Amino acid sequence: MAKKVSKIRLVEAIIFSLWITLKNLFKRPVTVQYPIERRPIPERWRAGTFALTTDKETGEENCIGCKLCERICPSDIIIVELEKHSGRGWAKSFVLDLQACIQCELCVQVCPTDAIVMLRGMATPVARREDFILDKKKLMENEELFEAAWATGIKLQKLHEPQKAGEKS
Amino acid sequence: MEGYVEERIIEREFGELALNMGPQHPSTHGVFRMKLHLRGETVVNVVPDIGYLHRGVEKLSETLDYDMLPPVYERDDYLCPTANSLAFVLAVEKLASIEVPRRASYLRVITAELQRIASHLVAIGTFGLDLGGSMGGGTTLFLYCFRDREKVLDLMESLTGTRFHTNMNQIGGVRYDLYPDFAKEVMELKQYLEKLVDDYRSMLETNPIFLERTRNVGIVTQELAKEFGASGPVIRATGIPYDIRRSKPYSAYGEFEFNIPLGTIGDVFDRYLVRILEISESLSIVSQALEGLPEGPVNSRKPLKSALLLKPPKGAEAYGAVESPRGELGVFVVSDGTSKPYRLKLRSPSFSNLALISEILPGNLVADAVAILGSLDPVFGDVDR
Amino acid sequence: MIFIMGFLESAILLGAVIGIVAYLTWLERKFSGRMQSRIGPYLVGRPHGWLQPIADGLKLISKEDIVPAKADGLLFNFAPAWILVVSLLGFAFLPITANWVLVNMDLGLLYFTAFGSLIVIGVFTSGWASNNKYALLSSLRSAAQIVAYEVPLLFSLLVPAILAGSLDFMDIIRAQKGYWFITFPVIGQISFLIFLLASLAESNRMPFDLSEAESELVAGFSIEYSGMKFAYFYLGEYVHLLAVSLLVSILFFGGPLGPILPGGVWITIKTMAVFLGILWIRWSFLRVRIDQLMMFNWKILTPVSFIVLLLAGLWVNLKAGM
Repeated sequence: MAKKVSKIRLVEAIIFSLWITLKNLFKRPVTVQYPIERRPIPERWRAGTFALTTDKETGEENCIGCKLCERICPSDIIIVELEKHSGRGWAKSFVLDLQACIQCELCVQVCPTDAIVMLRGMATPVARREDFILDKKKLMENEELFEAAWATGIKLQKLHEPQKAGEKS
Repeated sequence: MEGYVEERIIEREFGELALNMGPQHPSTHGVFRMKLHLRGETVVNVVPDIGYLHRGVEKLSETLDYDMLPPVYERDDYLCPTANSLAFVLAVEKLASIEVPRRASYLRVITAELQRIASHLVAIGTFGLDLGGSMGGGTTLFLYCFRDREKVLDLMESLTGTRFHTNMNQIGGVRYDLYPDFAKEVMELKQYLEKLVDDYRSMLETNPIFLERTRNVGIVTQELAKEFGASGPVIRATGIPYDIRRSKPYSAYGEFEFNIPLGTIGDVFDRYLVRILEISESLSIVSQALEGLPEGPVNSRKPLKSALLLKPPKGAEAYGAVESPRGELGVFVVSDGTSKPYRLKLRSPSFSNLALISEILPGNLVADAVAILGSLDPVFGDVDR
Repeated sequence: MIFIMGFLESAILLGAVIGIVAYLTWLERKFSGRMQSRIGPYLVGRPHGWLQPIADGLKLISKEDIVPAKADGLLFNFAPAWILVVSLLGFAFLPITANWVLVNMDLGLLYFTAFGSLIVIGVFTSGWASNNKYALLSSLRSAAQIVAYEVPLLFSLLVPAILAGSLDFMDIIRAQKGYWFITFPVIGQISFLIFLLASLAESNRMPFDLSEAESELVAGFSIEYSGMKFAYFYLGEYVHLLAVSLLVSILFFGGPLGPILPGGVWITIKTMAVFLGILWIRWSFLRVRIDQLMMFNWKILTPVSFIVLLLAGLWVNLKAGM
């Protein structure tokens, strides 16, 4: 690659650089003036906050307090307390500290009942740090905030079952 | 105070100016401190200082389970996240003898090559910043490269849900599957990027200012590269065709045809040229993978429930290496029979590449020092781990 | 009476120049933004950011004025003031319309170059007085650069003077009534290019701006300055650039001469065109290194400018002989 470049090519390259910037001068800028304009959120976006879901038919909470999400979280941000009554388990308290979440979606993948989901919206800012620590009441409210992301627990688990080959979502 | 005294001693005894390109500097590509000894404008000696971004990842991984670790490793070399988690996942699959379905291998290749394009665009953009400064033509090149990188990241966002740390790789396969429009969008991206790569090449490669700044500057000979264990574009620019995708193919790379761009003399220009040609090669690999994509499941393990934690056999060791955009990124795992690894060691490419600066920097001007550091493309998350 | 008139005229010119220069920074930011696929400033004074220079000026005035403890106090404060004042003084000799000059000297061109070359004192004084190695390196670089590029600058400046036969700006404008000097076959174009490149190097602009190279020596010789003194460096550079654009349009493009519109409008159009051209060059090229800069000057620009000067003299003699 150490060949000599002729003088004509050098002048041509200078003019070409000037031409490229001139061409871009007249094109539309790609800036999106946030927050007045917003880019469309793709279908599979998952980096909003979290929510605890309820069953659509019976109105009960989906979370059975199995503590699998607490076990799998790499950042240790979930704390669950279990209580059993009425024939199934419930989560007595569920605390999720959003400040340390690395958005890895392992908790969603592990959940057997689709209880915890990530939301398809932009993360909303808060005014105090304490508001980032979401307790169970806030998490249940978050379900109304945005729609759930594409990837829920059961969907991701179905993607992994080796028997059901060829089934794509 | 100690640094101050040291500088005064150097100035008095040797008559050299001790300049500190400190951890906060616009062009050291991260937190990196270089103590330069200058005579006039020529660098006479350089003493590098690393460790400002050490996060203790290797020790941290002794306390986490195997399945929890791929998202953690994505933060190691933060410009090519899937390469790091791929290296880890390959090592653990060797350790526990897990088979990966073919469709998952192809999807891993697609995401790895897309991230390679994004990382090389960053390297070229910041290289323009180093050469041309943040007030001038370098910024123009930087902004163009990042505007194009946004398109690649948009593609990753549509596929996985987050732009960058995608957590696509898992032990046993991948997490997501494609959506129907994916192939069409990749083809559009390919046409757009190929035209742009041609534009960049004709804008830069015959530009007299660029040639004068990069030709015969920072030459790394073949012996020097082998001695320091350099890998990636640094060693391919010297002429040695070492690419792990060709010599030890992992994860379906053996089924694709691609060229390995090589340089001739190993200067800054050759490293830049290798990177920009690799962008075209990655595009061709992605389109080949999409054409030949087999049907099948995307993961071979049972769904992730912690009752089925991975427990590799006791005393087993495995090493998995990938070709990250910076070189050979390897993970060496030792297991002791429990669900947490006993010891993990990361072989980081930027660390070995960065060690070259103590050999190639002296004798050049200060302006060249910055260009050489930029062409080695270190990422300090990887150097310090 | 004449004294008061002169005082008023110079006050008006001063105010006009500073105002225009402040808006030239706005123009540069918008223009460079569009070339890089983005919008320049747009929030302050929607929709186009008209009030941005005023906001910047207010911000810079309200900043704390930090003088490092070991810096040389008198020289530290003197350097930015010197740069701004000397750049502004150059405007006193340039004609704005076909008939109006603030100070009508018959050696106008010579005075302009004299004031233009005094700027280097401010540059390396600021580097020395900052007591900082980065500033010292950059000011040494820039002193070498400015002093070296004065040679081709002067030689290419003399070409229009020879072609017109005098050093007075009014004579040069009158001599271009038939055809502009840039249309001369070889002499006009080459001396225009050399003059443009040498002035870019003189005012530390890309592609020759190594002394403010933000990627190597963070902000160069103005590294220790904060607040309005930093603004003085910036303003001084733009005032010098405006003077250079005005000079180029007078010497090579005919100044206020033109078919239909009045002289003032033509000179504005030409000056703005040259200024936009200088901006365009800045945002398209990478930076050269110091030794390549010096080599470019001594091995390429100086000999070519000698030859062009000789050719110009030869041509004038031949024309006088015919």
